[in-house]
Amino acid sequence: MKRKQLWFICMLFVAIGLLVGCTGENKDETGETEEVNEDNRTLTIALGTDMVSFDVHNHNNTSTEAIHINMFNYLVKRNNDTGEMEPDLAESYENIDDLTWEFKLKDGVTFHNGDALTSADVKYSLERAATDTTLLDHANYRQIKEVEIIDDTTFRIHTHEPDPALLNRISRIGSSILPANYIEENGFDHFLANPIGTGPFEFVEWVRDDRIVLTAFEDYFNGKNEEWDEIVYRIIPENSTRVSELLTAGVDMAVNIPPSDWVRVNENEGTYLAQGISNRTLMIFLRSTEGYPTEDKRVREALDLAIDNQAIVDNILGGAGTPSITRVGPGDVGHAANLYDTYNYDPERAKELLAEAGFKDGFEMTLHSPRGRYLQDAEIAEMVAGMLAAIGVTMHIEFMEWSNYLELRNAGENKDAYLLGLGNSMFDAANALDYYRYDRFIGQLDYQNDEVEELLVAAEQNMDVEERNEQYIKIQKLLAEDVAHLVLHQESINIGVVDRIDYTPTMDEMIYIESITRK
Amino acid sequence: MNYIVRRMLQIIPVLLIISFIVFTLVFIAGDPVALMLPDDATLEEIEQLRESIGLNEPFYVQYGSYVFRVVQGDFGESFRYGQDALSVVWERLPATFELAIAAIIIAIMVAIPFGIWSATKQNSSIDLIATGAAVVGKAMPNFWLGIMLILFFSVTLGVLPVSGRGSFAHLILPAITLGTGIAAEMTRLIRSSMLEILNQDYIRTAKSKGIKSVQVIYKHAFRNALIPFVTITALQTSTLIGGALITETVFAWPGIGQLLIQAVNTRDMAIVQACVMIIAAIVILMNLLADIIYRILDPRIKLD
Repeated sequence: MKRKQLWFICMLFVAIGLLVGCTGENKDETGETEEVNEDNRTLTIALGTDMVSFDVHNHNNTSTEAIHINMFNYLVKRNNDTGEMEPDLAESYENIDDLTWEFKLKDGVTFHNGDALTSADVKYSLERAATDTTLLDHANYRQIKEVEIIDDTTFRIHTHEPDPALLNRISRIGSSILPANYIEENGFDHFLANPIGTGPFEFVEWVRDDRIVLTAFEDYFNGKNEEWDEIVYRIIPENSTRVSELLTAGVDMAVNIPPSDWVRVNENEGTYLAQGISNRTLMIFLRSTEGYPTEDKRVREALDLAIDNQAIVDNILGGAGTPSITRVGPGDVGHAANLYDTYNYDPERAKELLAEAGFKDGFEMTLHSPRGRYLQDAEIAEMVAGMLAAIGVTMHIEFMEWSNYLELRNAGENKDAYLLGLGNSMFDAANALDYYRYDRFIGQLDYQNDEVEELLVAAEQNMDVEERNEQYIKIQKLLAEDVAHLVLHQESINIGVVDRIDYTPTMDEMIYIESITRK
Repeated sequence: MNYIVRRMLQIIPVLLIISFIVFTLVFIAGDPVALMLPDDATLEEIEQLRESIGLNEPFYVQYGSYVFRVVQGDFGESFRYGQDALSVVWERLPATFELAIAAIIIAIMVAIPFGIWSATKQNSSIDLIATGAAVVGKAMPNFWLGIMLILFFSVTLGVLPVSGRGSFAHLILPAITLGTGIAAEMTRLIRSSMLEILNQDYIRTAKSKGIKSVQVIYKHAFRNALIPFVTITALQTSTLIGGALITETVFAWPGIGQLLIQAVNTRDMAIVQACVMIIAAIVILMNLLADIIYRILDPRIKLD
């Protein structure tokens, strides 16, 4: 019987050997883990979540837009280096009067099915975003009244009120230009299953929660992409799996590399970490409601002075982040440069202010915080609590599941403070500073500053660019003086990349395939 | 045949009860509208969208219209995918079946020889190793095991792909991850039921008649030990699907488990409902199947 046991064990090893042998061959065929082929023109990008939909007007998901921007185009696009708006599908544009903008489309732009782009496509797309109230990003397009077709390539956008942020508005989520004829002939469901746009890559397949495959569009109006033949987005939700795929060159790029893996990715032979500053700012919003300690400006200021923003960035984020006093980041219209890359920290003064406000022995407060939604959010909340303890303030942290957290806030049941990270896809101060309007958060935050309110109203429809900038800069100065809320830092973007390619993240968190090159 | 028809009809009230429980839980768990809008959406925007998609109707109206639609095979439209929920779930089922079948095959391949072996060699070193391994296999969380397998076979040895679905190689690690716990349970079950049967009189009789021990073990003992084994294997369906939730997430396997987790996270009620109903139907059908196989294996058992 012992011989039989030996025979069984031998057979087991042979079976394992055969299995591994088979997979070895398979591995080479699929190219999953073979030696990195420098000439491979397939770019594989690992994402943490699947694309939401090909309905480009009906989502507000940044990582979905990061895919769409390679298949669809906007009329204008923001230059990430200069921050200036540049024509994309539009050849030129002109502000005729406060309520009217005239655009001329580029010649020779075609959709992936060969149809020429016309003003009718623009009218269909923008009016859909502006009028369909069920669309998730409708709130950002209801300012558009109508699109008037002048001729095949000329059209006018009429707005209800003067809209100085129109160009920012039509260069972001929800304003991609769709093929009107194709959709009318085949129906929207057909479009969702077989989407076509005008972008540099066209649709091949979408296997939900697995992969999205695009291929280079031969007739792209800016010329076919010569660098990549095929783009594969792979959906890998688990962080450690995504990092492992990158380390084994199973993918060329992996988004959202967690800080615990930054050193590993950088030290691994064949990969590096591409970091950049995002447009997302992490903040602690405070209640100014009567009866709360944070109603008193001196208390808010004391809390701000107790937090060492740079220590958070250095110790929790490995230096990847920028302390700030304003939510309006560099690159945004109306950015106050003197309030960025700086912070206030003076714990002694903080204690004095607390004493002046009648809280000599400190007080207790509660912070609601999500866990895992923003980079190291829970660790940051805990570090802030530690810093506040140093001035005598006991901050209890309630970590909450995201939907419960949202419900609590929306019901106005939040206690003293909540932690929130806010992006700004409009790249305009109007979008960022709207959060300080009193009537938006009655019963939730109750912050009110009449001068800020007046300036917000004046700036929102001010078509004088210079004057509008000054208004927004002044608002930020007032908010900083009043310490309306606590601004912590701007987050970083952390993308793992294999050595064979060059990539620099952009602040808008988009992944423009045209900017990715092989070394 | 009557029995099968009766059992099939019993599925309807069970599914109805499940639908009510799940609908209620999802309803209580939270409002999907706030999750669909950006973080800085205003209350007015939230209210407007809620109104547009009919979510401000009272519970009983929503549930009533839901049941009415489900009876017609319409689980509603997924908020996240903007498409019929049932079709989204159908798309994912093959991937989960593929993984589940592979996991069961691995579990059976491991459990049968080791279960029989340790029963026939009770208290030997082989038995100790097999039962010890079964305890460890059952105790290891899928999540941890999956990541360890990736680190060893993919990152360190580089012999298997890390994640995804495609070639046969992609199936190996997730199937081992999902199959390990089931293999452990099956090994222990086969061992104990074999031990019980090996002590029966008819086995002693067979042995005393001079029948070869291999024949006694496989023809006389094993066939009878299969009865509880088949039941447990069929009942593993729910364990398999539960394990698939984790395994599919770790290995980025595009199955129903990953879909359900995403749907719960985004409060995509239509998908959650459709997933749970389909899973419930599968589990019920597998139980029915177990009963039928039971009958085939042991003609003394009457289904009625």
